[in-house]
Amino acid sequence: MTDIAFEDKHLTLEEGETVLDTLLRAGYDIPNGCRAGICQSCIMKSDASEEIAHAQVGLSDAQKTLKYFLSCRCLPSSKINVQRISLSSQQTNAEVIDVSMLNETVIRLRLKASIDYHAGQYLTLWKDGRIARCYSLASHPTLNDYLELHVKYIKGGEFSAWLRSDVRVGDIMKIQGPFGKCIYAGEKEQPLLLLAIGTGLSPIFGILQDAIAKKHQGKIHIVVGARSKENFYLVEELQKIAAQNKSISLTYIYQEETNTDTITAQNNTDFASKGDIYQYCKERFDNLKGYRVFICGAESFCKKMRKQCFLEGADMNAISVDSFISFTEEKTEG
Amino acid sequence: MSLYEKLGGEPAIDAAVDIFYRKVLSNDRISQFFESTDMEAQHAKQKAFMTMAFGGPNNYTGKDMREAHKGMKLNDDHFNAVAEELVATLNELKVPQELIDEVVAIVSGAKGDVLNK
Repeated sequence: MTDIAFEDKHLTLEEGETVLDTLLRAGYDIPNGCRAGICQSCIMKSDASEEIAHAQVGLSDAQKTLKYFLSCRCLPSSKINVQRISLSSQQTNAEVIDVSMLNETVIRLRLKASIDYHAGQYLTLWKDGRIARCYSLASHPTLNDYLELHVKYIKGGEFSAWLRSDVRVGDIMKIQGPFGKCIYAGEKEQPLLLLAIGTGLSPIFGILQDAIAKKHQGKIHIVVGARSKENFYLVEELQKIAAQNKSISLTYIYQEETNTDTITAQNNTDFASKGDIYQYCKERFDNLKGYRVFICGAESFCKKMRKQCFLEGADMNAISVDSFISFTEEKTEG
Repeated sequence: MSLYEKLGGEPAIDAAVDIFYRKVLSNDRISQFFESTDMEAQHAKQKAFMTMAFGGPNNYTGKDMREAHKGMKLNDDHFNAVAEELVATLNELKVPQELIDEVVAIVSGAKGDVLNK
């Protein structure tokens, strides 16, 4: 029988339960978010080094030294003592300096906070110290003096609807991070393929800025996908960047027409084409040997695209992925 | 010199694992067993498997082999398909036939555990 010692109580783990599952089942109020080892909101501490090692993926060396672990990932095989840690020690205060809509469904959030990060990493944002969500950074640590995140607005969404209606400039938001390793790396000469779907553009935008800032020499191919044309955002900004750099190609692919598209089509230069993004990539990039590939957006997109790019010849370790996973209740925030 | 050293050790495996994993993912007889949400974890497993097949330092035990493949309803055809893709990978990398034969001997030795026989 596997036991958890927690706050003078002994709890028994049931088959397949994580430490977090057991504590929640016992009625303890433990902060948590993604339950997938991504957001670090359920971080705890234990002296049982061997039992927590598998639940320390993604933690910093300092966090590991302090014997922190992610309770949502921890499946101990023998008795374990567990302690809460002060979540505020993991958080930073950020001041909201902008909340605005980039289109019908994308909220741009800009924050002021002193954190060191790499373009393309992500943060965990907290609502009222209760609800945690992860969003990837579109900003660049030296080019921008703010943190920028693109939040997909979901009607009734616990976090995104609150952000849209209740959050004001000047508010203080708790943030955690940065996390993640989907960042610009590799050889300056190798061609890059940047693939984004939806708000996957957020980290892709950051990575693109970083590649340019670091004077990337090889070609940079950007393919942005969306359900319909009206879902694209930051189009002018990206087009401007592409126009200034001969080595950048920029392609927009959307899945389906909507009524709005037909109406606005006349006053819109045809920057996007209708099609299947997988098919498009397969035909255009049929040999990815030597490429460095970045894939960001919804989980299903990342999974399918990663496999496709790998089969098209990209090395496994040359594919970086930022996959937006589902948090409880809400389907596809990111 | 051990088989593992003759084959080129870890760098050789790093070169081979992408080729091998691509082959099994493209093989309809077995691809279903290798599709996974966590492709990186799958990739790491393929590397561990190849290290074992190359006679290198690995933590595989017969019990682990049995446990890992339990309930997958694997048959001889599945086993042979994986072995064939491994041989095809080694051929592609121009590994001498006598070394391939040694790899095949190691992999065949694990057949009973993999198929839970």
